[in-house]
Amino acid sequence: MEEQRCAIEMRGITKTFGSVVANKNVDLNVRQGEILALLGENGSGKTTLMNMLSGIYKPDSGSILVDGTPVSIHSPEDSKRLGIGMVHQHFKLVDVFSAADNIWLGDEKSGPVLHKDRYKIIADMARKFGFAIDPKKKVYNMAVSEKQTLEIIKVLYYGAKIIILDEPTAVLTVQETQKLFDVLRRMKQEGHAIIIITHKLNEVLEISDRVAILRKGEYIGTVDTAATNEQELTEFMVGRKVDLNIQRPHVETTRPLLEIRDLSIRNDEGAVAIDQVSFYIRGGEILGVAGIAGCGQKELCEAIAGLRPIEKGQMIHKGDNIVGLSPKAILEKGISMSFIPEDRLGMGLAPSLSITDNMLLKNYREAPGLFVDRKAGRADAEQIIRDLEIVTPSTETPVRRLSGGNVQKVLLGREIKAGPNVIVTAYPVRGLDINSSYAIYDILNQQKQDGVGILFVGEDLDVMIGLCDKIMVLCHGKVMGVVHAHKTSKEELGLMMTGALDLSHKYEDKPSGIARDSQFQEGEEKG
Amino acid sequence: MNIRVVKREGAGMGRQIGAYVAAVAAALVVGAVLLAIQGVEPLAFYQRMLTLGIPGNKYPFRILENFIKLFVPLLIVSTALALAFKMRFWNIGGEGQFILGAICASAVGLKLGESLPRPAVLLVMALCGLLGGGLYGVFVAALKVKWGTNETLLTLMLNYIALYFLQFFAETKGDWNFFLDPASARPKFIKFPVNAQMLTIPLGPFNLNLSLVAAGVICALIFVYLKHTKGGYEIAVVGDSPSTARYAGMPVGKIVVRTIFLSAALIGLAGAFYVSSAGTLSASVTNDVGWTGIVVAWLAKLNTAGIVLASLLITVLQFGCQSASTTYPSIDANFANLLQGVILFAVLAADFFTRFKLVKQSKEVA
Repeated sequence: MEEQRCAIEMRGITKTFGSVVANKNVDLNVRQGEILALLGENGSGKTTLMNMLSGIYKPDSGSILVDGTPVSIHSPEDSKRLGIGMVHQHFKLVDVFSAADNIWLGDEKSGPVLHKDRYKIIADMARKFGFAIDPKKKVYNMAVSEKQTLEIIKVLYYGAKIIILDEPTAVLTVQETQKLFDVLRRMKQEGHAIIIITHKLNEVLEISDRVAILRKGEYIGTVDTAATNEQELTEFMVGRKVDLNIQRPHVETTRPLLEIRDLSIRNDEGAVAIDQVSFYIRGGEILGVAGIAGCGQKELCEAIAGLRPIEKGQMIHKGDNIVGLSPKAILEKGISMSFIPEDRLGMGLAPSLSITDNMLLKNYREAPGLFVDRKAGRADAEQIIRDLEIVTPSTETPVRRLSGGNVQKVLLGREIKAGPNVIVTAYPVRGLDINSSYAIYDILNQQKQDGVGILFVGEDLDVMIGLCDKIMVLCHGKVMGVVHAHKTSKEELGLMMTGALDLSHKYEDKPSGIARDSQFQEGEEKG
Repeated sequence: MNIRVVKREGAGMGRQIGAYVAAVAAALVVGAVLLAIQGVEPLAFYQRMLTLGIPGNKYPFRILENFIKLFVPLLIVSTALALAFKMRFWNIGGEGQFILGAICASAVGLKLGESLPRPAVLLVMALCGLLGGGLYGVFVAALKVKWGTNETLLTLMLNYIALYFLQFFAETKGDWNFFLDPASARPKFIKFPVNAQMLTIPLGPFNLNLSLVAAGVICALIFVYLKHTKGGYEIAVVGDSPSTARYAGMPVGKIVVRTIFLSAALIGLAGAFYVSSAGTLSASVTNDVGWTGIVVAWLAKLNTAGIVLASLLITVLQFGCQSASTTYPSIDANFANLLQGVILFAVLAADFFTRFKLVKQSKEVA
């Protein structure tokens, strides 16, 4: 019977922000010892709903029951007292503090004095839950997955029985995700109730016991995971049938547009980030770049865009050397780079400026005279809002007020508007829901059909196998080989990503990544 | 019962302006209480303050002319600071840049004042003020661009260097020190030759100071520059996200140096205007305008039109308090600073209430 008691029950929850209804009459319940996945598109109100449990928002109407008793949650402290802990998408940690101090800081019991034994107390407690963590390590020295572990330990330390995770896997690699899932399963066994928000259907099917679905703020229903599949969940979420197959149109390819030969780049710390990498992109093809996070993707993108000096090697665009050119000159050659960083806004957009102003970012110089041509910018903004179905109150809305999917559409829309011949795009669907992701894949395929060469740095291997023509795998800055997407498998890519399989010398006559019909001049061959 | 802070939806322009007016009114009420405690009739004092002591004065136009001499530097400095702040470059070196501009302009004014025609002298003085202030500021910008130094610390420290140079000139008698009056036994700044004094346009009994016209033109130009030009657009992008600016191919270093030169040069120009309007250098030449300008720029939220209003308000306070305190000996000019502080505080609070509201809530959720 214990299993059947609801740890949390939300009844008829409604929450509005001005004229926007974020949640409308939502019912949700989680049992003890259960993992509930909360599924919905961007902007369907998942995070808002969870923020009402964690005390950040208050419902306009409806009731919340914890262990069967009605409660009212006025603040995050109330929520903590009720045993609810939330791990937010953006970590709430003090960078310059140690792991232990980050936990100590928020605990009422710890008092005003920092006791020496806090490190031991926290380490013991972490071990009890099965985590290995150095309590003295400063947060700024931690990898993303370590920070997340710390957040989880924090809520457990505060005695949370109900744990909410908001898109915890968005920033994790496949391996780290598996580790996280092991932790979640263990917590479930210990009787914790877990709510996990995610877009990724395969993860939902893997980890959850039941799935609750929201669509545009409305509660659609809850289904048992065992009795459903990806297709059905997508239909619940989107409200109509969606073709889950990614298109890969066949396009006649051209001679290489961009060729990279023996490229080496150092990262900010001075360590080698990209090591002797060679590859090429033809017009009309999508070359995927797979690799564990932080194995040189960012440095590679920045180098191509002229934002990072290279150590050695060559970059040839249509037969012209682009090494050492300014970002502006590279832009003018028709090479577009869009990189969606973890915070989504860091590079490529000015968050406080309007959509119109962001449209102007790369072409404001073209207007004659001293003045910025805002009229043209506004026209561009109106067009991409229409073409890409961007949801925004107006063209003058600051970009930071848009939701994640719309922000990314603005960025990609601008890049495509400029009519590039090479598109370098990193993580263009990071954090996007299915509908928006497919819209972005369509945009890329459209560009490919127009003869543009595309470098697609991605994280989801299923997507890359479906979308890309060829996939280059990086491991610690080295190329592990370039494979044809329709001939490879996730397993093979996984082995290459971890460095266990090296296909870069598969063919004796031709090293991987050098085109037969290279546009390299004879004299430059050796560099 | 408990009270919580809730975000307001779409605060209208009207509400915002209303809140600011209410804030200034509230600050005046606080001031009135303080005045009443000291036994001064608040309404009478305020009336005297807000009319700048003009009614009943034999030379009302002279008062207005003196008012303009205080208003122009504050207006230009605030506008110039806003230019730097828009780029998130914390130039708190207004004092130093102003002093440098004033010293450079005085030097050429004293050296050339006898030999060149008046418009030429004034033009050269303005140019030297521009250069003096601009180079003093651009030095910090260049260090920041080159080595990532902290501009707040550097501009702050350079203020004191400039200030002590000025004091050195003010107190050290010597044959080389042409800033001082050789006729006076005690060190005293010499009066500028007539050709180095600011031109005025006579409008009946009132002499319109040419620097006011120049300040108006500068404000209008900066407004257009920030709002409509490519340079202004670059400032907005660099201020918002330097990595995005670099990504868009903007020469971020050049933009920073260029903008700070402009900001500091305008402050130096204000210094030049001030000394040529006053007709002499003085040890307290800045009148704290480098600090007050920061307050004005933020009160106006870096909006150029707002800066005109805010600097007008602050000058009325300072000038008005000074003239009112001649009638009320128990109140001195420091009262203006106090009132200015209360106003800033009240405006910040008003700003908070235009963006958020307090909602009373019962303990139970329905």
